[in-house]
Amino acid sequence: MTLALLLAALLAVTCVVVVALPFLREPEPESDHLDELDENERRRLELLEARDRALAALKELEFDHRTGTVSDEDYRALVGPLRRDAASALQALGDGGEAAQEATPKKGRPTRERTS
Amino acid sequence: MARKANPARLVIALIVAAVLAVFLLYTSIAGGGTPSIAPSELAGRSGDVQLAGLVVGPVRGDSHAGGLRFKLRDIGGETTTSVPVRYAGSVPDLFKVGRQIVVDGRLRNGIFVAEPGSMITKCPSKYVAKQSGDPY
Amino acid sequence: MAELGRAALVVSLGLSLYALVAGAAAAWLGRRRLAHSARNALVAAFFSTLVASGVLVSALLRNDFSFTYVARTTSEDLPTAYTISAFWGGQEGSLLLWLLVLTGFGSAAVLLNRRWARDLIVWVVPVFATVAVFFSFLVVAVASPFATQTSPVDGAGMTPSLQNPYMLAHPVFLYLGYVGLTVPFAFALGALLSGRTDERWLVATRRWTLVAWAALGIGQLLGAKWAYEEVGWGGYFAWDPVENAALMPWLVATAFLHSVMIQEKRGMLRVWNVLLVILAFSLSLFGTFLTRSGVVNSIHSFTQSSIGPWFLAFIGLVVTVSLAVVFRRLPQLRSPTKLESPISREAAFLYNNLLLLALSLAILWGVVYPMVSEALRGEAVVLGRSYYDFFLRIFGLPLLLLMGIGPLVAWRRASLKNLLTTFRWPTGVALATGAVLLLLGAGSSLPGLVAYTFAAFVLATIVLEFVRGTRARKALGASSWPGAFSSLIARNRRRYGGYVVHAAIVLLAVGIAGSSAFDSVAEAKLSRGESMQIGDYRLEYQALDERVASNATQIRATLAVTRGDRDLGTLEAGKNAYTIEQQVSNEVGIRSDMLTGEDLFVIAEQIDADGSVYFRVFVKPLVNLIWLAGLVFLLGSLIALWPNAREQRRLVQRTREVGVPATR
Repeated sequence: MTLALLLAALLAVTCVVVVALPFLREPEPESDHLDELDENERRRLELLEARDRALAALKELEFDHRTGTVSDEDYRALVGPLRRDAASALQALGDGGEAAQEATPKKGRPTRERTS
Repeated sequence: MARKANPARLVIALIVAAVLAVFLLYTSIAGGGTPSIAPSELAGRSGDVQLAGLVVGPVRGDSHAGGLRFKLRDIGGETTTSVPVRYAGSVPDLFKVGRQIVVDGRLRNGIFVAEPGSMITKCPSKYVAKQSGDPY
Repeated sequence: MAELGRAALVVSLGLSLYALVAGAAAAWLGRRRLAHSARNALVAAFFSTLVASGVLVSALLRNDFSFTYVARTTSEDLPTAYTISAFWGGQEGSLLLWLLVLTGFGSAAVLLNRRWARDLIVWVVPVFATVAVFFSFLVVAVASPFATQTSPVDGAGMTPSLQNPYMLAHPVFLYLGYVGLTVPFAFALGALLSGRTDERWLVATRRWTLVAWAALGIGQLLGAKWAYEEVGWGGYFAWDPVENAALMPWLVATAFLHSVMIQEKRGMLRVWNVLLVILAFSLSLFGTFLTRSGVVNSIHSFTQSSIGPWFLAFIGLVVTVSLAVVFRRLPQLRSPTKLESPISREAAFLYNNLLLLALSLAILWGVVYPMVSEALRGEAVVLGRSYYDFFLRIFGLPLLLLMGIGPLVAWRRASLKNLLTTFRWPTGVALATGAVLLLLGAGSSLPGLVAYTFAAFVLATIVLEFVRGTRARKALGASSWPGAFSSLIARNRRRYGGYVVHAAIVLLAVGIAGSSAFDSVAEAKLSRGESMQIGDYRLEYQALDERVASNATQIRATLAVTRGDRDLGTLEAGKNAYTIEQQVSNEVGIRSDMLTGEDLFVIAEQIDADGSVYFRVFVKPLVNLIWLAGLVFLLGSLIALWPNAREQRRLVQRTREVGVPATR
C-alpha cells in the first residue's frame, strides 16, 4: 500500500517538474514571445503553397498526358491556364516576396535561420 | 470563368436533390420499420412487431420440428404478465431462461407467432454478438 | 497497487486540465514558455496514463481479483493472450485504452510538428487536451478500472466467443482508428482557432488520417471475420447499431481522404473539409456512445451504466463549439477557386463525397430512428436489414462505378471526346463480363450482376492505369519493365497505393455480392449415415464425438463432403459447452475452396439425445475474396503511407524559404 503511494507521489512530482521545466530552464528569458509567423511571413507561406500547387498541377498534367489519360487536344487546352497560374505564382513570390522580406524587421530571434 | 462555374454548381445541386428524392421515395413506399415493444404492450395489437423481453420457462418443443414454445415477459418492471411465443428456425446459443431476447412476429389467437430465424439474444454483459438472422 | 492506478489517472486528469487551460492561455497571449509547458503536460499525461495502464495489465497478469474489473473479465485458467486482451474487453478498461491511445497520438503528433508549425501546434494542444480531459474524467469519476473488492476465489471468466485471435486484434485496430481521427480534427480546429489559412494542418495530418482510416477499415474486417467464424450464423455483417457505429466514421473519413486531395491540388473545399473532419470525429464519439450506453437495442450493449449522458453532452459540446469556430472563420476560409466543370476529377471526387455522405447519413438515420420515433410517437420503431440493403445498393453501386471513372478524368475539366476514348476498353471489358456472367446464370440477382459488371470495369481501369504508367516510365528511360513498374510506384506512392486500395474495395464488393446475392442454404435433420445435398455438394453425417478440453466439453459431428465423384475430405461442426461460464457456443465447420473462393459453411444447430443432428448448411460463393481484400487493402495503405524523401525535402525547403526552421 505504501509502495503504491510512494510511486504515486513520485509520479506526481515528476509530472509537475516536467510541466514546470520551461520555466525552470529559462527563469529570465529575453523574449517570451511565441515564435509566430507575422502577416508578411504568413502571406509568403500561402504564396509558396500556391506556387507549389501550380507546379505540381503542371507536373501531374504532364504525367497524365504521357500516360494517355489526357488527350493531346485536352492537354493543349489545359496547359495554357496552368502555365499562367504557375507564372503568376512565381511572380507574386518574386517581387511580392522580396518586398515582404525587406519590410520584415529583423527581430533577432536566435533560433531562426534566414536563407536569402 | 464565372459563367463556367454555374453548370457545375447546378449538377451538384441536382445530385443532392436526387439523393434526397431517393430517400423520401423509399421511406414513403417501403414504409417504416417494425415497432419494438414490450410483451405487456402486445395485447390487442395486430401486425408485425418486434418483441423485446425476458425468457420465462418452461421451454418446450423443438424449433426445427413443430416450434419452440416459451414465454416472454417485460425486462425489468413489475408486470408479471407473460406472452406465449412459438418460434421456429435457428435458435442462438445464448438462448435460455432468464435471457433478454428480441424476436419479430405477430400476435395470432393469443400466441405470438415468431418470424422464423428472427431471434436475437442480448449478451448479459460486455460486448458479444449473438445472432441468428437471415444469412448475409 | 490499485491506488497507484487511481492516482496516476488523477494525475493524468490534472495534467490534461492544465494542458487545456495553460495551452489556451499560451495560444491566446502568445507566450512561448507557457505553450511549451502545456505541450509537456500533454506528453506527461501520456506517461501517467501509461503507468495506470501498466498497473491494470500487471493486475490482469497476476490474476489479482481484488480488482473488480479483473474479476469480472478474466479467470484463472484464461490463456495469457486473452488475459491481456481483457484490458479492453470491458467498459472501464476500454475507456482507459482510448485515453492511452489518445494521449499517445496527441503527444506524438504535437512533438513531431512542434518546430515547423509552432503557431499551429500552440492551438492544437488545448483541443487535444479537451478530449483528454473528457476521457480522463470518465475513468477517474464515472467508470474507474481500479475499483477494488474482497478478492473472490476465481474470476467470472471471459465470454468464450471472445477468446478468439480476431477478437484480440479487432478492438485495438478500431480504437487506433477512432482515436486516430482525433488528430486531423484537433489540427483542423487548431488551424481555425489560430486564424491561419495555409494548408499546413493538412500536410501535417495526412498520414495520421490515412493510418486511422486504414486501422478502422481493418478493424471492421477483423470483426466481420470473427462474426463469420465464431458467432457462426452464416453472415459477417448484420447492420447492428454497433457495426454501423464503426462504419459511419469510416465512410466519412473516406470522403475526407478524397476531398482533402482536392484542397491540396486546387485549394478548394476548405469549409467542406473542415466540416467533414468534424463530422468524422463526432461520429467516432457517437459510435462509441452507441456501443456503451445501451441506448439502442443492440446485441452489443455494454452494461447500461450512466456513461451515456456524459458522452452525449460531450458530443454536443464538440459539435457546437466546432461549428461556432467554423462560422467565425467562414470569410477567411472561402477560396477563390471554383469548380470549373461537372466533368473533372474534382467533380468526380465531389460526387464520391456526396454518395459516401448520403450513405453515412442514411445509416445514421437508421440507427437513431428507434430513438427518434420513441421520442415523437412513444414507440420505438426499428428499421430492418432491407432498409440498409436498399441504401447500400443505391449509393454503393454508383460509388463502385465512380472508383473507375475518377482516376481517369483530368483535373479542372475533361472533354467528353477524351472520356469516350479513355473508357472504351474498360467499358468493353465490363459489358463482355456482364454478358458472360448473365449466360452463367448471374441474372438471378440484378444488384449482384450490376456489382460484378461495375467491378470488372473498375479493375480494367486500374490495370489500364498501371500499364500506361509503366509504359510512360519506360519511355522516359527506365532500364527494364520491372524497373519501370517499381519506379512508377515509388515516385507516385499515393496515387498507385490508392489504386491498390481501390482494387481491394473492388474485391470486397465482389466478395459481398457473391456471398449475399448468390448464396444458397439448405437444412436437414440427419441421423448417422444419412446425407444431404446442397448445390453440387453432398454431405454425409458420419459420427458424433464428445471430447473434454480444459475449459469446455466439445461435441463435434463429422461430415464427409463430396462433390460429384470427388472426395473433399471431412468437416466438423458442433458445440462447445463451457464449464465455468455456463455457456454454450456454436462451433461451425467451414470448408474454403481456394480456387473458387467459395465456402461450404455448416452449422450443427441442434444435437438431439438420440444423436441426430439438425444441420443448416450454406454455400457462400466468393466470400473469401472479402478476407483477401483485407490484405490487399493493407498493402495499398502501406504503399500510400510510405514516407517519400523527395516530398519531405520539398516541405523542408518551403518552410525554410519562409524563414521557419524545419528540422523535424
